[in-house]
Amino acid sequence: MTIVAVTACPTGIAHTYMAAEQLEKTARRLGHRIKVETQGAMGIENELSAEDIAGAQVAIFAADIRVQRSERFEKLKIVEVPVQEAIKNPEALFARLQL
Amino acid sequence: MPVISFTFPLPLGLHARPASQLQEACLPLAAAIRFRNERNNRRADARSVLALVASDTCGGDPCRLEISGPDQERAARVLRDFLDRRLPHADDELAPEKKGTAGPACLPPVFLDGAQQLLQGLTLSPGLGRGPAARVGGAVSWPRRFAAGKKNVKQELQLFRAACAEVAADLRREAVSARERNASGILRAHLTMVSDPGFQERITKLIRGRRSLPSQRRPLVGLPAGKAIGQAIARLSRDLRNSRSAYLRERTADLDDLAARLVQKLYGPAAAPAPTTLAGPAVGVAASLTPSQFLALDRRRLRGLALADAGATSHTAILARSFAVPAVGGLPASLAEIGTGEELIVDGRRGLILRRPSAALKRYYRLEERKLRQQERNFARLKTEPAQTADGRKLEIAANIGGAAELGSAWRNGAEAVGLFRTEMLFLERDAPPDEDEQFAAYREAARTANGRPVIIRTLDVGGDKHPPYLDLAREDNPFLGRRAVRFYAQQAELIRCQLRAILRAARFGALKIMVPMVNDLEEVRLVRRLLAEASSELKARKIPQREKIELGIMVETPAAAMFLDRLACEADFFSIGSNDLLQYFLAADRGNAGVAHIYDPRHPAFLRLLARAAAQARAAQRWLGMCGEMAGDPELLPLLVGLGLDELSLAANRIPALKARLRQLDTGACRELLQRALLCAGGAEVGELLLDFNGRGPAAAVTASELISLAADSRTPSEAIKELCDRLELAGRVADSGALEAAVWQRERTYPTDLGLGFAIPHGKSPQVRAASVAFLRPAHAIRWTKEADSRVRGVLLIAVPAGGPEQEHLKLIARLSRRLMHEDFRGALLNAPDKETVLEILMSCLRGTGAAEKNDSSMEKRK
Repeated sequence: MTIVAVTACPTGIAHTYMAAEQLEKTARRLGHRIKVETQGAMGIENELSAEDIAGAQVAIFAADIRVQRSERFEKLKIVEVPVQEAIKNPEALFARLQL
Repeated sequence: MPVISFTFPLPLGLHARPASQLQEACLPLAAAIRFRNERNNRRADARSVLALVASDTCGGDPCRLEISGPDQERAARVLRDFLDRRLPHADDELAPEKKGTAGPACLPPVFLDGAQQLLQGLTLSPGLGRGPAARVGGAVSWPRRFAAGKKNVKQELQLFRAACAEVAADLRREAVSARERNASGILRAHLTMVSDPGFQERITKLIRGRRSLPSQRRPLVGLPAGKAIGQAIARLSRDLRNSRSAYLRERTADLDDLAARLVQKLYGPAAAPAPTTLAGPAVGVAASLTPSQFLALDRRRLRGLALADAGATSHTAILARSFAVPAVGGLPASLAEIGTGEELIVDGRRGLILRRPSAALKRYYRLEERKLRQQERNFARLKTEPAQTADGRKLEIAANIGGAAELGSAWRNGAEAVGLFRTEMLFLERDAPPDEDEQFAAYREAARTANGRPVIIRTLDVGGDKHPPYLDLAREDNPFLGRRAVRFYAQQAELIRCQLRAILRAARFGALKIMVPMVNDLEEVRLVRRLLAEASSELKARKIPQREKIELGIMVETPAAAMFLDRLACEADFFSIGSNDLLQYFLAADRGNAGVAHIYDPRHPAFLRLLARAAAQARAAQRWLGMCGEMAGDPELLPLLVGLGLDELSLAANRIPALKARLRQLDTGACRELLQRALLCAGGAEVGELLLDFNGRGPAAAVTASELISLAADSRTPSEAIKELCDRLELAGRVADSGALEAAVWQRERTYPTDLGLGFAIPHGKSPQVRAASVAFLRPAHAIRWTKEADSRVRGVLLIAVPAGGPEQEHLKLIARLSRRLMHEDFRGALLNAPDKETVLEILMSCLRGTGAAEKNDSSMEKRK
C-alpha cells in the first residue's frame, strides 16, 4: 500500500516528529510505502506534492491541531487519529487502514 | 505675568523626585510660581513638594506654571529650560525595578494537591523565605490630647515646629549614616517632605484653628498637634489614594511614616506603634508597613514579608529588594486570618504566599533552596575567578559609582577597581559646594575600602544638564555643546583646586587616580596639571600630608580627543573612553531623544573604526586604555571590545558577574577577527547580525551538557523531576527563571501528559525565559508514576526547553532528530542503561550530531527537503 501522512502537535517540538518516525518505522516493517509531512515548529517539512497524494491509496492525519492545507487530500480516504495514538499504538492504526 | 503651558512628560506622574527637582529649580528665584494641573484644576505652590505631589499629576496631563514677581522674565527662562531639559529625565536613574508581576498562571500539581492554601499576590522582592508568621507594622494612632498638656495654641505650635526640626535632623543624620543607597535616598525624600512648607502649613493651620467671624472676637480655636497631624495626613493620603498613578498611590506609607515620627517626638515613644521585635526567624505579615518600620525590624531574623497594601514601587518594596528580603504584596484580605506562628512560605518570584504547606510542597521548596544555595556558590566562585578570556588574556573589570555609598556593592560584585567615581553627586542638590574636608572624607573612604585596588576619580563634570545653583552657569542654547566640565575649570579655579587638594590628601590611603572629563586638546590638560601643582603647593604650605605623585588621565568623550590620543599622550598618563557622550557627539544623535534612538547605535561600523583607531594610538603611545559607559556593560557587545584590545571595562556593579562570565568564554583571536569583519560592515544592523551569529556559536549554544544530566535523582513525582531539570537549566544560565519554564511545561502537560508509555516521559515547553534551546535528562532512583491513570512507570525524563519566538531552526532540527530517535528501542535502552553521565552525554551528543545509528527513512518516497 502507498500511504501519505501528516503529523502535527500543539507545540510542534517533539510529538510531531516522534509520530512521523513511528509511522515511517512501522510502515517499513509492514512493507508499505509511506511519506510523512511534518507540520511542527519549523513549519511544513517533507511537504507532500500533488503527485505524492495522487499516487497514494490512503492518508493518515496524526494531529492534535488542525492540519494545514487539508484541501489537498479531498479525493483521498483520510484516517484521523490523535498524535499519541500514532506513537503508542501504530500497529492498530495500520490495521484500520486495511478495512 | 508669564505662563508656561506644558504636557507632563513622566509616566510615573509628578512624584516626590521630579517635584523636589522643580522645587529646587524655583528656590533661587524670587518670583511667585504657581503650578496648575488643567485636567483636575488642582493648584500648588511650586516650592512645596507635597502640594505638587498632591496635585495628582499623571503623565500626559496638561499643566501650566504661572509666574509673577520681580524677576519673572528670568524665572520663566530658567523654568522653561528646566521643563525642556531636566524634567523629562528626572526618572532616568530611577531604575524601573522589576514591576510587580502576577505569578505564572500554571503551577505544578504539587501546589494544587494537599491542604495548603495559596495566596496569590504581586512580586515585590524575589527570593524564597520560610518561617512562622509574625505580625509586624501596625497603624499610627493620633493622640487627641494637647502636646503642651493644656490648650495653648502658641505653645502647641512651638512644640510642633520643634518636632519638625528634630525629625528633620534625625532624618538628615540617618540618611548620611545609611550605608545602603536606596535607604539613604528614601530617608532624604522623607526629609524633603517634612521640610516642605506646604506640609507644615497644613498642620499649623489646624493647630492654630480658625478665627470665627471677626466681629465675635472669640479666642482662637485650635486642634491638638496629634489630631492636626492625623487630619492633615488623612487628607493628603486620600488625595494620593485617589490618584490615577499607582506610583503616587504607593506613597501613602511614606506619609504614615513621617506622621509616626512626629507623633513620637511630640508625645514620647509610647505614642507611636513600637517596632516589632522578632523573637526568632519569622515571616512578617502586615496590612501595610512603612519604610521606617521595615528598617526597624531585625533583618537577620526576617525571612520574608507578606503585605496586603504595598505595590512594587513603594519604598518598602524598594528596601526589601535592597536588603534581599523576599516579599509579596497586594495580597487578598484573607491575609488578616493568618495567625501568629502559623507556618508560611514566601515565594517572592511567583508572588505567592503558602499557608500550611504539605509535606510534598516542602520537599519541592527544599529543591528550590538547594538551587538558590548553588547559585550563590557559583556566584561567589565567579567573583574570585580572574577576569580573563578563555585564552588567558586579562581584562580588568571595574565598577562605575556615583558616591561612596555604592562602594560596597562594587566590591561585593567582584569589581577589580573603580573605573569611574562620578563626583557630581557630592556637588548637586545643595546650596553650597562641599568643602575640602567633606570631599576628602568621601575620597578617603573609597581609597580605604579599595584595599589597594585602583580608584579613578573623575573631576567635576557639571554643565550640560547639571546646574548646581551656586555655580551660576550661564544659560546656553545648546548646553551639551557648551561650557561643561573642563571648559569652565579656568573660571572656577578655586572650586577645582579644592577638589584636587581633597584627592591628593586622600591618595595617601590608596591607589587613587584623577580623570578629567570633556578634554579636546593639550591646553586643557595643561590647565589641570597647573591647578594640580597649585593644589599640591597649597597643601605643602599648610603642612598637610598628601601624595604628590598621582596619575592624571583623560576621559575620551569627544571625537576630537579620540582622534588625538597620540598627542594627548604627552600630558596624559591614561585614557578612558566615555562611550555614551563619545557616541552621541560622533553620530550627532542625542542619546535622550527617542526619535533618534535608532541612530544612536554603538555598533555603527564608523564608531567601531573610531574606537579601533583610538586603541591603536593608545597602544603606540604605550598608554592604558579603558572604557566606562553603557557599551562597556553589554555582554552582547563584549566580543567587539575584546577585539579592540582594551585594558579595562568599567560598568554598573550589578552587571559585573554576567560580563565576567561571558568574558571567560571568549577567545581573543576570534574576537579580533570578528572586529575586523565588523569594521567592514554596511551598518549597525549588519554588525548586529555578525554578533548574533558569533554569540550563538559559543559553548552556551550547544543543546545539552553534562551539568544538565541527573542520574539516580531522588525525585519522587513529576513535579519534582520537572523542577530539578528546570533548576539545572537555570543554574547553567540557559533559562532565566525556572518557575516560568515549569509553568510552560505544565501548561503543555495539561493538554495531555507526555508520558510515552515506553518508560519515558518527554515534558517540554516554550518560554521567553529560555535563553538557548536545551535538552536535559534525568533518571530517577525509583521509577515515577507520571499520572494516576498510568499503568507503566517512567524511568527516564527528557526535558526540552525552547525559547519563545525567534527562529531557531538549527536547534529545533536537532531536537526533532532526538525526538525521532526516541522511537527506537535501542536508543531508549542505551539511555536507561548507560553506567554514567559521560556515557549518557555521549549518546545524546552523537544523536544530536547525527553520527548515531542510521536514522534515515529508506522507504520514504523522496528525501526530506
